Amino acid sequence: MNEVGSVSLIASLAFAAFALVAGAVGGKLRSPRITRSAERAALGFFLMITLAVVALEYMILTSDFHNAYVAEHSNRDLLTFYKVAALWAGQEGSLLFWTWLLSIYSALVVWQNRRKNRQLMPYVVSVLMGVGTFFSLLVFFVANPFQELSVVSAAGTQAFTAPDGNGLNPLLQYHSMVIHPPMLYLGYVGMVVPFAFAMAALITKQLGDNWIRITRRWTMVPWMLLGCGILLGGNWAYAVLGWGGYWGWDPVENASILPWLSGTAFLHSVMIQEKRGMLKVWNVALVILTFFLSIFGTFLTRSGIVSSVHAFAQSNIGPFFAVFLAIILFFSVTLLFLRLDHLKSENKLDSMVSRESGFLFNNWILLALVFAVFWGTLFPVISKAVENATVTVGAPFFNKVAIPMGLLLLLLTGAGPLLAWRKTSFQSLKGNFTFPLIVALIAGGIMYAKGVHHLYAWMTLFLSVFVLVCILGEFWKGARTRMRTAKENFVLALYNLTMRNTRRYGGYIVHIGIVLLFVGFAGQAFKTDTKGLMQEGDLLTVKNYMIRVDGLTTGDTPNYEYTRALLTVTKDGQAFTTMHPEKRFYKASQQPTSYVAIHPTLSEDLYVVLAGLDPDTGKAIIQVFINPLVMWVWIGGVVTLLGTLLALVPSRVEREMAEIRHAQELAVQAGDAF
Amino acid sequence: MRSEEQSGVRGPKSEVNVGRNLRGYFGPRTSDLGFRAVLLAAFLVAGSMARGDTSRTPTLETIGNEVQCTCGCNAPLNGCPHLDCAEKAQMQALIKKEIADGKDETTILQDLSLKYGLQVLSTPPAHGFNLAIWILPSVGLLVGLGIVVVIVRRWKGKPQLAPVPAAASHDARILTAVEEEMKSTGMR
Repeated sequence: MNEVGSVSLIASLAFAAFALVAGAVGGKLRSPRITRSAERAALGFFLMITLAVVALEYMILTSDFHNAYVAEHSNRDLLTFYKVAALWAGQEGSLLFWTWLLSIYSALVVWQNRRKNRQLMPYVVSVLMGVGTFFSLLVFFVANPFQELSVVSAAGTQAFTAPDGNGLNPLLQYHSMVIHPPMLYLGYVGMVVPFAFAMAALITKQLGDNWIRITRRWTMVPWMLLGCGILLGGNWAYAVLGWGGYWGWDPVENASILPWLSGTAFLHSVMIQEKRGMLKVWNVALVILTFFLSIFGTFLTRSGIVSSVHAFAQSNIGPFFAVFLAIILFFSVTLLFLRLDHLKSENKLDSMVSRESGFLFNNWILLALVFAVFWGTLFPVISKAVENATVTVGAPFFNKVAIPMGLLLLLLTGAGPLLAWRKTSFQSLKGNFTFPLIVALIAGGIMYAKGVHHLYAWMTLFLSVFVLVCILGEFWKGARTRMRTAKENFVLALYNLTMRNTRRYGGYIVHIGIVLLFVGFAGQAFKTDTKGLMQEGDLLTVKNYMIRVDGLTTGDTPNYEYTRALLTVTKDGQAFTTMHPEKRFYKASQQPTSYVAIHPTLSEDLYVVLAGLDPDTGKAIIQVFINPLVMWVWIGGVVTLLGTLLALVPSRVEREMAEIRHAQELAVQAGDAF
Repeated sequence: MRSEEQSGVRGPKSEVNVGRNLRGYFGPRTSDLGFRAVLLAAFLVAGSMARGDTSRTPTLETIGNEVQCTCGCNAPLNGCPHLDCAEKAQMQALIKKEIADGKDETTILQDLSLKYGLQVLSTPPAHGFNLAIWILPSVGLLVGLGIVVVIVRRWKGKPQLAPVPAAASHDARILTAVEEEMKSTGMR
């Protein structure tokens, strides 16, 4: 199978390199034949990389330990579910996985555009395969997962088959960890598609509406997947790392949020271009930045230039990525400057108080946040280079910088959509904001009276109420209008209203999801925890919970040994739940890890960790966290996902416009043929 | 759109360059004053952020968020994922002792950095080159705001290229243009 994998990699490299050149030549010569050839090569690239992935997965699933990668990242007793995940557990496998996802996106783009966007496609394929060529080179020459395991002895280097593997990192043996990396990678890799279309539009000077429409959709999908990946990563950290939190501003976490933030900026500013023909340069710049940050994220995760709890696979691939990033930047920025004359704004701004300026301010905050997070993440590297001093930039810095900016963004989340395009009158402002403001002030007063005195938490909850009322008011007003004009009942009116403009109302639902996320974040201010040495019959009191240890049991599975605490919990003196936190010891990797017991409710999570056994007394070390409002983070994530999916559904008007565009394109093609 | 394009070209390579470039945006009347105001505001914002609340009563929880565990996990002391972490236990014992001795947060953080090195602090101390960590985000924020304001001002003063109704989509505009062209060429 190693041979199959290696041959597939070589073939994929050849296909990618051919498609890169053929795409560019086909575009330059305007040759449909050469362009088709490039597209077929991109499909060949997909087939060959798929074959390589199948070969590696086959070796992992059959525990073929004469392959070095399989021996390093899997073992016989690993559950099949986790064996599949071993594909992206190490450097070589994860780069192959990255390349495979790229090939899938490329094949999708080729298939989707087989009859449309024909002038853009040669260059789109060329750019996609340029990235594909880089990753194929990397996978084949620098981080090849198809290496035989060998031993060096006096007789020379000999192939060797290990009796068992080292196993998967225990921290990765958690269900959301199986979905988290693919989601994150789908997000990172997917940003290559809008970049490819943007570059193709710049090269062909077709900088009208078409590329921006394609790019917006192709940004929404990876943006959504990246968001899911980030959230699943947070869920994994929460359930596995045992410190009671889900976000620690770790460099690798930061790397994932950067393209998501710049992508968010683009998804907003693109609307100004669509509606008003403004911000054209800015939009291209954001697409470039988002793609750059996606590659930068992969580089940061895999290169080991910064220390991270998440950097599971580090090596010397840093310089290759640095060169690639420089090439991307040089190529794209040069192209952008060469096309400045084609990117002139079509309209002027009518008023400072308008939707356009709202989007501008939204972009300002988002980009300032990107810069601050980027700077904080890289500062230890810069400090080392400049002063040869080792410093750490951790959560306190990011919290101080990001929370005020986050609050401003939250405000804009509610206020922005209520501003009219071109100009918003004072009367309109008053009409739209008075009621939400009154409700928010009342809610803020109640919260203060109930003991919410933490400034940031209070502001977050106050703004959340304000934004929620603003957004729900939009649904209410729209549905009421339909009830009057179309004589529909409220539910039908709400449904028809949403489906008539899925983009707008899907966006509102995304904003509701973001609000819920912020509500969850606010809960962090009220986190409490305690720790105790406990044996059977002991009681531990935390706030209004009382935890009793009913016993400790031990057990053995083929993959790990465990110690489990049996706990009974009462709340306000009433029976509440039983919990069973575990401490596990994985046999293959000889590493301990925790399996946290969490009892989630809408108001707070009871989070219990069995940290170990005290060596002197043999008592269990039980750590208990009360984490308020965490559930709202996950609910907010799901709502955001649903809102994005809704926004991706074409509305009736969009479908009609697409049919007109398609008819126009066919007419143009028919004209060209004559 | 020129202002946007210029902003892309003239990135803040150094503070002096930023000032020169901003002069172009704001015009000679406001350039120096504006630039100095931005810098001053950035310093003030950075200073207030960097200072932190060191007057609070130190606890194991608050100090544990301000320092990193030294076991190599790259997590704050409170967030060290290792269950039996000896380094964490050792650091927590030291912090508890210093709190019991009545030391304030600043002194405890100083003692920890003397014992474990500067990298034990979750954020670098705000002096020398490390000031940049606090200043640049503030400068970025304020310069960004300046750019937004300039873009808005330039847009407001710019003549409209084509009288396009706000609500009209581009597709509708294209269709209108096609219709007009067909009429003018006698095709309709």
